[in-house]
Amino acid sequence: MADIIWAGIFIALLGMALGRGWAGYSRTGPSYAVLARREAAFLEAAAEVLFPPSEGLPLSGVEADLPGYADRYLVALPVRQRNLLRALFVLFEHATLVWPAAGRGGFRRFSSLSEGQRLDVLRAWESSGLYLRRMVLTALKAVLILGYVGHPRSLGALGLAPWKLESPRVEADYLYPPIGEGRDRLPDRASVPASSPLSPLLSPPLSPPLIPGVDQETS
Amino acid sequence: MTDNPDTGGGVRVFSDYVRGARDFTEEADVVVVGSGPSGSVVTYELAKAGHRVILVEEGPPFTPQEFSPDGNISMARTMREGGLRSTTGTLMPVLQAICLGGGSLINSAMCVRPPGFIFDEWSTRFDLERTTRADLDPHFDAVSEFLGIAPTPEDVQGPRNLLFRQGCDALGISSEPVDRNVRGCRGSGECYTGCRARAKQSMDISYIPQAIQLGARVLTSLQVQRVLSEGRKVQGVEGQVVEPFSGRTSHRFKIRARWVVLAAGCMATPVLLQKSGDLANASGQVGRNLQFHPGSAVAGVFPQALNPIFGGTQSYQSLAFLKEGFKLETMWSAPAALAVRMPGLGEALVKHFGELPRTAVWDAIASTHRSTGSVKSRFRSMNPAIRWRLHPEDMKVMLRSIHVLAQIFFAAGAEKILPGVHGLPDELHSAEEAEVLRDYPIRPGDLVTASSHVFCTTRMHGDASRGVVDEDGLCHGFDNLYIADTGIFPRCPSVNPMLTAMALAHRQAESLAERI
Ligand SMILES: Cc1cc2nc3c(=O)[nH]c(=O)nc-3n(C[C@H](O)[C@H](O)[C@H](O)COP(=O)(O)OP(=O)(O)OC[C@H]3O[C@@H](n4cnc5c(N)ncnc54)[C@H](O)[C@@H]3O)c2cc1C
Ligand code: SF4
Repeated sequence: MADIIWAGIFIALLGMALGRGWAGYSRTGPSYAVLARREAAFLEAAAEVLFPPSEGLPLSGVEADLPGYADRYLVALPVRQRNLLRALFVLFEHATLVWPAAGRGGFRRFSSLSEGQRLDVLRAWESSGLYLRRMVLTALKAVLILGYVGHPRSLGALGLAPWKLESPRVEADYLYPPIGEGRDRLPDRASVPASSPLSPLLSPPLSPPLIPGVDQETS
Repeated sequence: MTDNPDTGGGVRVFSDYVRGARDFTEEADVVVVGSGPSGSVVTYELAKAGHRVILVEEGPPFTPQEFSPDGNISMARTMREGGLRSTTGTLMPVLQAICLGGGSLINSAMCVRPPGFIFDEWSTRFDLERTTRADLDPHFDAVSEFLGIAPTPEDVQGPRNLLFRQGCDALGISSEPVDRNVRGCRGSGECYTGCRARAKQSMDISYIPQAIQLGARVLTSLQVQRVLSEGRKVQGVEGQVVEPFSGRTSHRFKIRARWVVLAAGCMATPVLLQKSGDLANASGQVGRNLQFHPGSAVAGVFPQALNPIFGGTQSYQSLAFLKEGFKLETMWSAPAALAVRMPGLGEALVKHFGELPRTAVWDAIASTHRSTGSVKSRFRSMNPAIRWRLHPEDMKVMLRSIHVLAQIFFAAGAEKILPGVHGLPDELHSAEEAEVLRDYPIRPGDLVTASSHVFCTTRMHGDASRGVVDEDGLCHGFDNLYIADTGIFPRCPSVNPMLTAMALAHRQAESLAERI
């Protein structure tokens, strides 16, 4: 009899865990290369409270498509770090089990909390006495801030978009093809205009002014 | 194993192995593992002396089209462990490159000669009679001349660097423009994500092409996994082809050589020795004595717009506090990456972003001699397990450096600073308010630090029982195994290490060329 009760408890707990971890997330919306919908929902929920609409910047956290940005970043990471970061998203989403938000339903997963509760949860992480907890928040903020402030529209509005810069040709350009490509992608030496500095050791100083602002909508 | 198909132009890239698609063997007089500043100097100097040299690098060569202005993506592609490497003990991010040119591709090109007293300490404490500043000056000169190292000119300083000078002048603190290995810098402030202007003389566009012209061969996308040895002699290295970014390994290679120079960097070289049957470790010092220059930064907001994206990335510095244990410098990075250190959440955070055009960031690197750690190999991985603990006394030095930076900011006219110290207010508005930094009971973890300067894991010592290599970089107890990277520094050098690493490598290459 006791075995049956324990099995029942186990199944109930498993069901709750599965429900909490997987159920109730939207099944529609963009699909990502790496990011799961539930991770995207978490990132969106965090971005919404981290970067509310403001006068200073032309777009809010929600408008900046930060799940899309995080997905591109995850693709660029080595597999181990990619998995670690995804684990961090999951950890954060469910850490309300350990550190619940104040008010009704404070144990719900992060993305299901109200805006005010989410901000309070983030505040608690930021001011925590536990260094590790603060670092986890810093890591999460790092991913989202790079996507948000680094968004071409944010950078454009701040006047901080990357310079328009042409790369003069140097000797190395005849040695290294683009990464992953073959030697046939190397430029032809004969096609180089005579004025190009062939060796960095011979290149004359270039002078400012730089040209501001690459195309801010498309960069 | 077979010989690999010929390489065009002396360089082999990942696609060349895919085409060959088989294991291969190469031969040379010298194989150099790692193309950072140290390995590249050794390669060039030995090729110049007429020797057959193969330079092996795990990372790929980057072209300007592949530089990403996005801080996250750039780090994910150019740095080890996607830029997320970190110590345990005291948690600290550690930035290390994986690309042709090593750290020089994504560093800010600061070239600083340590003052004489640093080398005096090295030579007396570590039995290094030939390692005084006077001994090394000819090597510093040779590298400086080759790379065109010179002080950053005024016209590419930009306001955020010049304000640092202004603040230092107002307080009577000495400061100077930074010497850098650049030619024709345009002040784009993007050294950390790769110099699109091709001004920075990173190894991939300076020493390496010149070495190739002299006959050196450069094999990229090869991960060396083991040094082959018998008794006092090494016979070469072996490892696997590795795909850029994914890190997937495929077919195997072997390079037979009469001399092996490990220049894989302070973290990777000890791991390689450990993976090779604990090679060169009679002293028990391989992987031990690890030191860093932890860096901490303070942001200052000025009343006027600074156009901070203009100006050399790190172009002004003060060496006035070296004897106290820290060095001050200006810095810039991808704006979004700098925004990560902004405090607050929600509206308060977004307000700080709006202040970025009026913000300058200055940093301090600390000589934390008391804080040591270790590097150990991990099972089935070439990445190290890094343990390190920040000593409370060193923590105080770091706090003092932040206090001085705060004073310089206010002397330069900043309206507020963001000290970035846990437990203190997010903003301090005057020099008086910043006095809170003077005696704050700081603990490790209160300060967000990071480090890209790593040292001492295969330290140089005149006494074979207390160090791994001698003054020429030759491993104690070996006839033909050398180490040339910042791991051989006996102590952290208190200033940015690249130039010292290259000067030492230059000296090693000279002595090795003579022996060959
Ligand atoms: C972001 C950043 C900014 C910095 N700014 C400055 C600065 O302005 N001034 C300064 O003086 N210093 C600076 N530094 C530090 C400086 O770049 C390093 O100290 C320097 O690059 C160390 O040179 P190294 O030759 O010892 O090793 P590294 O530059 O680390 O080169 C080692 C090379 O070996 C390769 N390698 C490792 N393992 C293997 C293997 N198993 N097989 C094949 N290849 C392998 C690596 O991929 C790497 O390319 C900075 C560093 C960073 C990361
Ligand atoms: S500041 Fe810009 S132009 Fe100058 S060396 Fe750095 S990246 Fe190149």
